[in-house]
Amino acid sequence: MSDDETLAGLLHAFVEVELRGALTLDDAYACKVKYLGKKGLLTELSRTLGSLAPEQRRARGQEINEAKAAAELAYEARCAALKAEAEARELGVFEDLTWIPPTPPGTLHPVTRTRRALERVFASMGFDVVDGPHVEWARYNFDDLNIGPDHPARDMADTFFVSPPAGSRWSPGDLVLRTHTSPVQVRTMLTRRPPIRIVALGTVFRRDDDATHSPMFHQIEGLCVDERVSMADLRATLYRFVSAFFERPLEVRFRPSFFPFVEPGAEFDMQCPFCGGKGCSVCKGSGWIELGGAGMVHPAVFEACGIDPERYTGWAFGFGIDRMAMLMHQIHDLRLLFEGDVRFLEQFPC
Amino acid sequence: MLISRVWLAELLGDAVDLAPLSDGDLTAALTGLGLEVEGVTRTGAGLETVVVGEIVGVRPHPDADRLRVVDLFDGDAVRQVVCGAPNVPAPGGRVLFARPGTALPGGMVIGARAVRGVDSVGMICSETELDIGPDSSGIVVLADPIAPGTPLPDAIVGVVDTIIELSVTPNRPDALGHVGVARDLAVKLGSLWRPSPVALPEVPDDPGIVRIEAADACGRYFGITFDGASIGPSPLAARVRLHRLGLRPLSNAVDVTNLVLMQWGQPLHVFDRAELGEGRVVVRRARDGESLRTLDARDLSLAAEDLVIADASRPMALAGIMGGDHSGVASTSTTLLLEAAWFHPAGIRRSARRHGMSTDSSHRFERGVDHGDGLQGACAEAAALLQRWCGARPIAMHVAQGDRPGPVTIAFRPARCSMLLGMDVPRPDVERIFRGIGVEADASDPASWRCVAPSHRPELEREVDLIDEVVRHHGLDRLPMQASPPTAEAAGSPPEVRMRQRVTAAIVDALREQGLHEVVSLAFARPASVAATGDDPDSPGVVRLANPMRGEASLLRTHLLPGLLDALALNVARHHRPVTLFECGRVYRNAAHASGSGPTAEIDAALPDEPTRAAVLCGALPAGDPDRAAIDPRRVGAALLHALARVGARATIRVAASPMAWLHPGAQAEVVLDSGVVVGRFGRVHPQQLVAWDLPRGVEAAYGELLLEHVPDLRVPQFAAVPRFPGSSRDLSLDAAIALPVERIVSALIGAETATITSGEDPPRLVPGELGRGAVELVEDYRAQGIAEGRRALLLRMHYGCRTRSVTDTEVQQTHEAIVEAAIVQLRAQDGHLRRR
Ligand SMILES: [Zn+2]
Repeated sequence: MSDDETLAGLLHAFVEVELRGALTLDDAYACKVKYLGKKGLLTELSRTLGSLAPEQRRARGQEINEAKAAAELAYEARCAALKAEAEARELGVFEDLTWIPPTPPGTLHPVTRTRRALERVFASMGFDVVDGPHVEWARYNFDDLNIGPDHPARDMADTFFVSPPAGSRWSPGDLVLRTHTSPVQVRTMLTRRPPIRIVALGTVFRRDDDATHSPMFHQIEGLCVDERVSMADLRATLYRFVSAFFERPLEVRFRPSFFPFVEPGAEFDMQCPFCGGKGCSVCKGSGWIELGGAGMVHPAVFEACGIDPERYTGWAFGFGIDRMAMLMHQIHDLRLLFEGDVRFLEQFPC
Repeated sequence: MLISRVWLAELLGDAVDLAPLSDGDLTAALTGLGLEVEGVTRTGAGLETVVVGEIVGVRPHPDADRLRVVDLFDGDAVRQVVCGAPNVPAPGGRVLFARPGTALPGGMVIGARAVRGVDSVGMICSETELDIGPDSSGIVVLADPIAPGTPLPDAIVGVVDTIIELSVTPNRPDALGHVGVARDLAVKLGSLWRPSPVALPEVPDDPGIVRIEAADACGRYFGITFDGASIGPSPLAARVRLHRLGLRPLSNAVDVTNLVLMQWGQPLHVFDRAELGEGRVVVRRARDGESLRTLDARDLSLAAEDLVIADASRPMALAGIMGGDHSGVASTSTTLLLEAAWFHPAGIRRSARRHGMSTDSSHRFERGVDHGDGLQGACAEAAALLQRWCGARPIAMHVAQGDRPGPVTIAFRPARCSMLLGMDVPRPDVERIFRGIGVEADASDPASWRCVAPSHRPELEREVDLIDEVVRHHGLDRLPMQASPPTAEAAGSPPEVRMRQRVTAAIVDALREQGLHEVVSLAFARPASVAATGDDPDSPGVVRLANPMRGEASLLRTHLLPGLLDALALNVARHHRPVTLFECGRVYRNAAHASGSGPTAEIDAALPDEPTRAAVLCGALPAGDPDRAAIDPRRVGAALLHALARVGARATIRVAASPMAWLHPGAQAEVVLDSGVVVGRFGRVHPQQLVAWDLPRGVEAAYGELLLEHVPDLRVPQFAAVPRFPGSSRDLSLDAAIALPVERIVSALIGAETATITSGEDPPRLVPGELGRGAVELVEDYRAQGIAEGRRALLLRMHYGCRTRSVTDTEVQQTHEAIVEAAIVQLRAQDGHLRRR
């Protein structure tokens, strides 16, 4: 075998066999080391030059250098091809991202959600948020609110009475489950001096259980006591509240009504927030939605709480949180609120 | 309270013309007066084609014994009508004839047809067919010879009417009769109206017949004796009126009392005087052992608080509530005693409540009827009607007086009115309103009027009551929106109260962030569910309702678990999805406790404790790994820890020191604050609880709760230096008993660190890993092939670092070995086979 054949054979073996057989950049580099490394097969050929005649040496040297240059080029080309292949392979992969295990958000109960929204609005209007006990003195729930033992208004609140603890000096009839949040008014007026601006939100109880009543429900109550507080201020406050709560200006109107602890007393309606008063299915075409009761604190209540009714006047209002929640979320059946079906609860994620 | 528009218009007469007002206008005016309209019913529509018919001839039906063939003149022509009624009058009698094409109130349309082969046109109608009364036993036969062809609405007033249902608030007893509504309406419509006076019969006074023994309970009593009464049906128009107002016509004498009740709001009673022993009336308290059988056949045992209308010896009526069964008029009665009285409201209310009775009469007396002109007017009206309808002849008056409330004088300050309303009402308007409702006002001192309230408005007692009248009639819709400037800033809640509000809100938010759904359960509990959580339902600590709605839920909850299990059971019965719930609410327990300070503290100390709990319940009939993960008790524990972390509270978990009987004995743990306080617990719900709640086999549930009173206040996080020098970690492989809790191993390792490192400046120590991981982490808990029964292979990772320098491998290795050796020695007391792998 001539030297030419050896050189051509090595180059051929490197380019056509080994490099072509290399499937990774590491393989290709190993081939390069095998032929072009310090002890590579092509590199070794240069060492045979010393045994050649000078004129032959130059020619042979040039041949070898050309072969090595060709080998380098072939190596670079193979590397480029392999990189391209690898890239194509990586991008050719399909990853199925179409199915993610659900992580459903938790939810707040619509009553909590509404209660918080109410607290936010009233807090921003300068009202302090307070609450009181659920098991309450009949005195605070009734008597101090101008609802005496024989007052027919005790019919209006069908009351759960709580048995006094055995051996206590209290009699049956002294303790009740509060029928409204109004005893919080009494508690506040007994413990704070005017000016008073509070809202009380909480659970209340009545012996009533049908499609539209639950024996337990939730109320909000507002109270303002100061010198020269007027009923016009009550109307202005309720207007500010409904407009802030529904984030649009909504009229408030009063209809005369009766609650023993206020005088004058009224029921108040707001312009329907869903149609702006034009009439829709929610407001049954009337443009108005009934909210709750309101009025000027009865002087008898002030007297029971040790506040001078000549010096101070005040107003109070109250309405149902559950009803407001039902209105906000268009829930038509009160019973859904308290039975705990997750398919209902999970509908209030935000 | 049902109000007839026709009757209102009749009463108002020329003073106020209601004709221009639509029903909607009338409704709006009543609503504006605080007389809430609950419903409006129009009656008599379509009855214009029912006309008065005169019977011309009656003959038997050839084919049917019960039917008759009637020839009837309807004003236009003689019609042949087949009629099955038993009371077809003789020729000349007047009946009500529905012409063909009439649509009756029940929906039936009258035509012409053959009845058993005889042609029949139109129909002769009964009261029920026309909806003018309750009688369906025969056709209506008119008493008066009204011209044939007269349409029914013209023949009988009140057939066509608008009936308005009012919801009358307790402060308006006057509006429980048409007179009161008419008076109010007249003022609202800018007029002034007084009921037409009716005179009492001019008969001799015979005062000895009526005696008031309980003067404090009966303020005034009018009795009138009649003779020659004949008891029978009332005139048709009166019966139609009663029917329209929802009352059943009975007999003329009783109908008189009912109509006067609806007109004046004054309950009356008519006794058969022959039934009254010695023909006398004694108004007195009941005596011990006395009883009374009422008109509705209830036997009442009377008590000394009950006021009765007695004769010479026995109670004849429970005063103001209901008559006795032999006190009323019978068809044979001829001598009557009409009673019109005023009873003290509170007494009637107590009696009615004790006997569980509520009648039209007691309803009005409880609220306070007029003891003045109204009482007399009602009495006179009834006397006149008894004469007219029963032919009764008044022969004697018996008037007796008890303690009658005196006139109420109220000072009214116009300036106070303007200030309280935030609106000026012109003086002439105020005067007109007062005059209209019957308040006599003496404005000679313009700053403070001297006003006397009328006896028909017993609830007018104070100045605000008059201000209420002013604004009610002037119009609440005229109230401006005008803020009152505050005199000072209002006080707020104490900081500790606000803090607890914030903590509770943060806990609720945190639980919701854990993918849980908030539920609100009723706060009531059954004895069985109280027992389920380890409380004796009969113990004095459990709060008991004196009058539960349903016998079962007679207690207040002591725990949130039962309510959540109820919700789980409901969900499991309805669908098969995992149920992941939380609730934040109060539980109740009688306990002596101190309760803050201030004027309510002493009395509040006797109220039950109402601590707040936040509880999590996850349950399902697991169908696959995601379900299992959703109801894993560790998920519940993680949610509790997350909630605590959300308020900045650091807590750890340990095996329950005092296990709860309602959780699985081998699967429960406590959540402990760094302070050592147990703030919560969680675990698997005891299988017996699931059985007790009738949950299907295979349902699993995990429960956890936080005691909010132990959750610490939110605090401002304090910065600690971030480690600046790289640390190093070592893994520890242990062969440990499954029964040896990881928490114990981790505590032992951390405890050993403190004991091991004694000297040196800034030695390597266990340091928390990044992203809030502990200094010791559990990497793997492996318990399958190659691991002995009851044991597991644990892989723990421990993080080391120094404060001021980088650690070296050698020193970390030394420290690590020392800690591990010391910990293993200590833990061998609990797991003799504990060793490194
Ligand atoms: Zn609307």
